[in-house]
Amino acid sequence: MQSKERLFKTLKHESVDRIPWVPFAGVHAGFLKDYAADEVLQDADKLYESLMEVNRLYKPDGQPVVFDLQLEAECLGCELQWEKNSPPSIKTHPLDGDDEEPPVIPCECTIPTPESGRFPVILDVMRRMKESVGETTALYGLVTGPFTLASHLRGNNIFTDMFDFDEETEELLNYCAKVAKASAGYMIDAGMDVIAVVDPLISQISSNHFEEYMIKPFTEVFDYIRERGAYSSFFVCGDATRNLEVMCKTKPDSMSIDENVDLKVALEIGRKHGVVVGGNIPLTTVMLNGNQMDNMKFVVDLLDNMEDKSGFILAPGCDMPYQTPIDNAIGVAQAVIETESVRQMIKNYVGEEIDTSGVVIPNYDNLDKPLMEVFTLDPLSCAACTYMLRVAQEAKDTLGDKIDMAEYRITEKENIARVKKMEVEKLPSIYINGQLEFSSIIPSKSELEKALNIAMK
Amino acid sequence: MNEKLTEISSLLQAGKAGKCKKAVKAAVDEGIDAQTILNEALLSGMDVVGRKFKANEIFVPEVLVAARCMNKSLDVLKPLLLKEGSEPVGTVILGTVKGDLHDIGKNLVNIMMQGKGLTVIDLGVDVPAEKFVEAAKENNADIVACSALLTTTMGEMQGVVDAVKASDLADKVKIMIGGAPITSDFCEEIGADVYSVDGSEAAEAAYEICVA
Repeated sequence: MQSKERLFKTLKHESVDRIPWVPFAGVHAGFLKDYAADEVLQDADKLYESLMEVNRLYKPDGQPVVFDLQLEAECLGCELQWEKNSPPSIKTHPLDGDDEEPPVIPCECTIPTPESGRFPVILDVMRRMKESVGETTALYGLVTGPFTLASHLRGNNIFTDMFDFDEETEELLNYCAKVAKASAGYMIDAGMDVIAVVDPLISQISSNHFEEYMIKPFTEVFDYIRERGAYSSFFVCGDATRNLEVMCKTKPDSMSIDENVDLKVALEIGRKHGVVVGGNIPLTTVMLNGNQMDNMKFVVDLLDNMEDKSGFILAPGCDMPYQTPIDNAIGVAQAVIETESVRQMIKNYVGEEIDTSGVVIPNYDNLDKPLMEVFTLDPLSCAACTYMLRVAQEAKDTLGDKIDMAEYRITEKENIARVKKMEVEKLPSIYINGQLEFSSIIPSKSELEKALNIAMK
Repeated sequence: MNEKLTEISSLLQAGKAGKCKKAVKAAVDEGIDAQTILNEALLSGMDVVGRKFKANEIFVPEVLVAARCMNKSLDVLKPLLLKEGSEPVGTVILGTVKGDLHDIGKNLVNIMMQGKGLTVIDLGVDVPAEKFVEAAKENNADIVACSALLTTTMGEMQGVVDAVKASDLADKVKIMIGGAPITSDFCEEIGADVYSVDGSEAAEAAYEICVA
């Protein structure tokens, strides 16, 4: 089954061959190509190049093109503070002011156009991604949810406004819903298949407030996305458990939650309302700070503990941290794509003490010629492993007898023992003369040859 | 409890700022002393708000409107409290770390700590490590409390810990940390003293430190 079809079928509640996987690689995409967060969010070529690398290495069924909740706010006059390794933050709130005065509702003439702010950059990349991978990968366009956008514009006063100024708060949220619809429309025009309405602040209010203020604007946005023939998703962050029921009432096709919500509870609620659930790999404890084996184990355990796997999309809890180790995301992809072999691998790895006594480590200090050792998960299904092995093979073909090459796949038990004995932590990786040279990031052929030439001297 | 005090506490919990302030004025006019109004109506009301927030019964907007009641009522009481010469429980230097502009969590901590009778010096957002130290010295603080929302800025907390430890405040000031990505393991790793999961717990911990 093709990746995009797998995701679409899941969103339509049809059966699929395996669970679809959507890595939320926002600024993290830049990390793959060594671009800073502020570069990928402002430069179309760098963003496109980075997203193509995400597509190549993580084998996603669906993929966001940009994860930036400041896009619309910037067009509406919020000043941004740019960062190197995270999305920008909102520095000023144009509708901020005395909390005893109601917010001034902006004129509809201020709603961003496709030419406003960074929209031309983002829409250009969306069109390019559609052309390059849109046949096989479902593409996500992310718009800022009405409540979070209202808070960007109004600042923290939005919270007290909900008590003091009912009508103006409703009007402001309606205005923000119109902005979200406009933004969604441009992204659908640029070829996006799924529009995610991202509203992390929803976890900070009561269900009563949700019913009072949010049902109308959110329902309007999701209705509009449906009318335009795209799928929709409601992204929240934080413990939004109490609001999942009311969120479902706004009729998104899917909702995405983070690790603060019990996935089992979310799936129960989602199934009751016909809403697919995405989530919820922990961002910091597992993806950022865990190792590759932790990530693979987390996914396998999550899938094994799920009796009914229908209506579920595997995804990180929210936007992946910039410096998420690449091998961790590769591990997640491998675990969802080749669950059975990874389950076996983990069993071998963490199970009974692995006997490494039979592993003969070469005498690296006294080799006749340089030795290149390639450690992979499984080049048949792990894209990054395929590319790394290919570039190694190409270098070997060029250098011929001047070097030796060995490949170890962790799918075999004796290779797990070698990985343990050599303390290899990240896969795929290339070692030259027993020293780690390349890990997760695939070198170009010339980079690899350069490293081998140095080893030959 | 005096009926007037119960009314003030209820108005605070319901977030009715104007009415709460009026009720405080009326209580003062009735001859109830400011310290009693503060302790038995406002602080006890904030305590209920804090407990409900922790128990997930109420959320950010409800806490913010209650806090607003507290602040407006304090405008009435402050001059009287100064006259009565009441002693604050302790002083906390609070801020969101350098590079981070998020302040909702920090503001909640501020409110909850004030609710416990602590004096809070709020340095705002994007606060460099040395500013925490300066403010702690100037105000003879008991606690430096740092907030961070981003995984990318949480590392700045190490700088605050280092700056405090390098100063002559090392044995005098406790360092508290909190925020969405923070964990107790991280707290231990960077050598901070206390990690709190939310504003209510932070206020409780700060109070305990100051009365110890």
